[in-house]
Amino acid sequence: MAVVQQAIKFPVWRRRLLLMMVLSGFALLICRAVYLQGLHRAFLQKEGDARYTREIVLTSHRGMIMDRNGEPLAISTPVESIWASPPDVEADKEQLVKLAALLEIQSNELSKKLVNQNRDFVYLKRRIPPQLASHVMQLGIPGIFTQREYRRYYPAGDVTAHLVGFTGSDEVGQEGFELKYQDWLSGKNGSRHVIKDRQGHIVEDLEAVKVPQDGHDLVVSIDRKIQYLAYRELAKAVEENKAKAGSAIVLDAKTGEILAMANLPSYNPNNPENILGKSRNRAIVDTFEPGSTMKPMTIGAAIETGNFTADTKIQTAPGTMVIGTATIHDSHPQGLITVAQVIQKSSNVGAAKIALTMKPQYLWGVYNQLGFGSPTHVGFPGEVGGKLRNYKTWRPIEQATMAFGNGISVTLLQLARAYTVFANEGELRPVSLLKLKDPPVGQQVFTAQTANTIKDMLELVVQPGGTAPKAQVVGYRVAGKTGTAHKVGIGGYLEDKYVSSFVGMAPATNPRIIIAVMIDEPSNGKYYGGEVAAPVFSTLMAGTLRMLSVPQDAPNNNVVLPPEGAPEVKEDT
Amino acid sequence: MYMMSGRARFGTSTYDQGLLWVTLILLGIGLVMVYSASIAMAEADRATGHQSTYFLVRQAIYIVISLMAGLVAFSIPTKMWQKVAPYLFLSGFALLIVVLIPGIGRNINGSQRWLSLFVINLQPSEFMKLFSAIYVADYTVRKASVMDSFTRGFLPMLIVMLLVGGLLLREPDFGAFAVIASISISILWLGGINARIFTALLFMLVIGFILLIWSSPYRLQRIIGFMDPWADPFGKGYQLSHALIAFGRGEWFGVGLGASVEKLLYLPEAHTDFLLAVIAEELGFMGVAVVVGLFVWLVVRAFGIGKEAIKNECYFSSLLAQGIGVWMGVQGIINMGVNMGLLPTKGLTLPLLSFGGSGVLANCIALAVLLRIDYENRRIQKGLPT
Repeated sequence: MAVVQQAIKFPVWRRRLLLMMVLSGFALLICRAVYLQGLHRAFLQKEGDARYTREIVLTSHRGMIMDRNGEPLAISTPVESIWASPPDVEADKEQLVKLAALLEIQSNELSKKLVNQNRDFVYLKRRIPPQLASHVMQLGIPGIFTQREYRRYYPAGDVTAHLVGFTGSDEVGQEGFELKYQDWLSGKNGSRHVIKDRQGHIVEDLEAVKVPQDGHDLVVSIDRKIQYLAYRELAKAVEENKAKAGSAIVLDAKTGEILAMANLPSYNPNNPENILGKSRNRAIVDTFEPGSTMKPMTIGAAIETGNFTADTKIQTAPGTMVIGTATIHDSHPQGLITVAQVIQKSSNVGAAKIALTMKPQYLWGVYNQLGFGSPTHVGFPGEVGGKLRNYKTWRPIEQATMAFGNGISVTLLQLARAYTVFANEGELRPVSLLKLKDPPVGQQVFTAQTANTIKDMLELVVQPGGTAPKAQVVGYRVAGKTGTAHKVGIGGYLEDKYVSSFVGMAPATNPRIIIAVMIDEPSNGKYYGGEVAAPVFSTLMAGTLRMLSVPQDAPNNNVVLPPEGAPEVKEDT
Repeated sequence: MYMMSGRARFGTSTYDQGLLWVTLILLGIGLVMVYSASIAMAEADRATGHQSTYFLVRQAIYIVISLMAGLVAFSIPTKMWQKVAPYLFLSGFALLIVVLIPGIGRNINGSQRWLSLFVINLQPSEFMKLFSAIYVADYTVRKASVMDSFTRGFLPMLIVMLLVGGLLLREPDFGAFAVIASISISILWLGGINARIFTALLFMLVIGFILLIWSSPYRLQRIIGFMDPWADPFGKGYQLSHALIAFGRGEWFGVGLGASVEKLLYLPEAHTDFLLAVIAEELGFMGVAVVVGLFVWLVVRAFGIGKEAIKNECYFSSLLAQGIGVWMGVQGIINMGVNMGLLPTKGLTLPLLSFGGSGVLANCIALAVLLRIDYENRRIQKGLPT
């Protein structure tokens, strides 16, 4: 042992060198730590944030649109969107096949979405029912997540499509109420800036949560049941008469609230595709020449002057009237008739003669007060005001034709509103698409006496000898007026294209409801307003009065149709 | 150097209290950080029964067992270690063979490193580090007279080391091999091996390492991942990029104990190999500096104890003490270097801190032996029998 130990030489420098090498290793570590934690940290923290901080959108709830009774017309229903963080997805082939099948996408399309390792947010499928989403999550694939979103649903579909409109994919209103009341309905999305752990659980909020603000509900004047009825009856008539289009308005005569407004053709707002030509709310955004439905306004203006009464005799023979180079026709010459009969028989010559006794400025003033030529301001996107030319430019022939609704254009809503004067003793009521708490203040256009006189005349229209016996309603007295006008095309009136209309009210003793019906281009033989539009009015009015439990003002056997073979009374076109 | 003052300070003591405290502090930091780093992982894992304290409880038990084992080791005279050195080495060698037998060795994460022993998994390579230090120290002392000779002094050790290396690389446990090779070479170097042989050996070793790395795609992948983790941060560079992010987030003073985000399942092996990254994130540069400082203390003390032993002509003790110092130092540097992206990922734990029964047990026994050597130094200087 002693010999061996003598030979041992442990050079001191070797020990020092080794220790120095080890210590310099530690020194290097300290330098590296200073670099990482002091100098390079901005980059590293940015990389870290990219991996686990997330901006979460807290979806706000868009307000509901409800009818006057609280029935939903537009609801935001919760849906789930499925998204993935590709780097975190761990799934075998079988799971991926199942996932693709559930989401109804191609397997290779799915793998293509998941292959991108540099993205950590990829939508796999948006807006699927919550139940399906829960099936997807039950697969238990890590890195697959759901996100709550809302989808707009319209329970009444086609029936209220024109009124309610629809929203785009980002929940922004595109048409109708959805567009008009966008700011009111839409909420404000909130957000959270959070750190998430690798399984997607939120660990902490980095800043204060911005709470989402839900939108407001909207209650409109529409009554969904009446709307359904209006749509159904209108659709039936449009189909039977092979018409191009049609509109119907049901108005509360007292409050001016629009209880129903139906249009055809329509579309499904839950899936708004190929809506060109179907999406217009024709009753508000389209105008037409009203024809004879204008006559009560003209006669009302005349009676208001004091120069005419219901019984004043007007000579309409020989059924034509020459003004300048133009000639006005009555297709069924009547001879010497009363003012009331001018309405009942719808004589163009009679109305023209009466109109020409008035000063243009006066007549224009009455039309203007009745709301023609300017929008109703009912609050609907794209509303138009029609055309009522300034009286200064009126020529006699124009004044004469305007008396029976030619050379003037109106919307169906304007026309319906004008009839509120006959239902409210001369007072014009503003119309509303929103439910009102208090009845609005109207504007007196005619005296009560004049208005009631016209209303009496309008009652004659639906009786035998009038133009629209088919507008009668069992148990209620009806007052109304037919309209049948040639459509205006390029170069003047079109010989074979008509707009048939009927505007009326019931119960006539104290009108509660005004209904206006317009059928565009009926082409199945019949085209008179009394034949095409009046039956729609009748069923719609009967249904509406029954739904609203309006007391009858006539016995149940009040309907009197003209005897078989009696000459039909047609209005002039 | 400053050992004189050190000895003056602890002159009345029979053992090195400072070294003991450093060891206990490192164990304590390790226990706290293992718990912090493993909570989220343990809760999320069905294998742990979703118990958040799963790893805390186990590490605490390991530490208690290890301290008791250390107490036993401390009571064994250094001469005894030297006497049984070859047998320890042979038994360690045998265990390295056993662990490779399919059905007996347990394969975790693609490495066959563990032996199932009822409740704990034993990792023979951890103990082989200690046995190698003891064996090479003994060998160097025995062959001191022929240290200049290549065939008689060096070649036998080279063959033995190549055999051990071959077994370790079969597992594979590249990190353990690197540590054992460092310990052995350091002891030979300190023992006065011929400088020319040494240089040639070092050269061959470097060539060998490079060949190994290029021959095995698994090691090549680790090299590529380490060179630029940001080139493929969601693939090969995933683990390292997250470790580096943890360092960046920690800044100077850390995000606070328990507040690490990286440990929330982002950083794999947060409680074992990448514990330092969690320390860096939660305790910041300060935490890292304290850990590095404690390791420096350990290494410097081990070399100091070695120097004292030479004065007492206890050559085996001296070499063993410094071998243990090299072990702690090299393994610490490699692990921390891996955490900071200075070295390729190895699968090497941070001594005394990382979770793992075998590692803590082997480290504690080694430090107990170191304390024993110091204890004997003091006894000799006081003229007492060892």
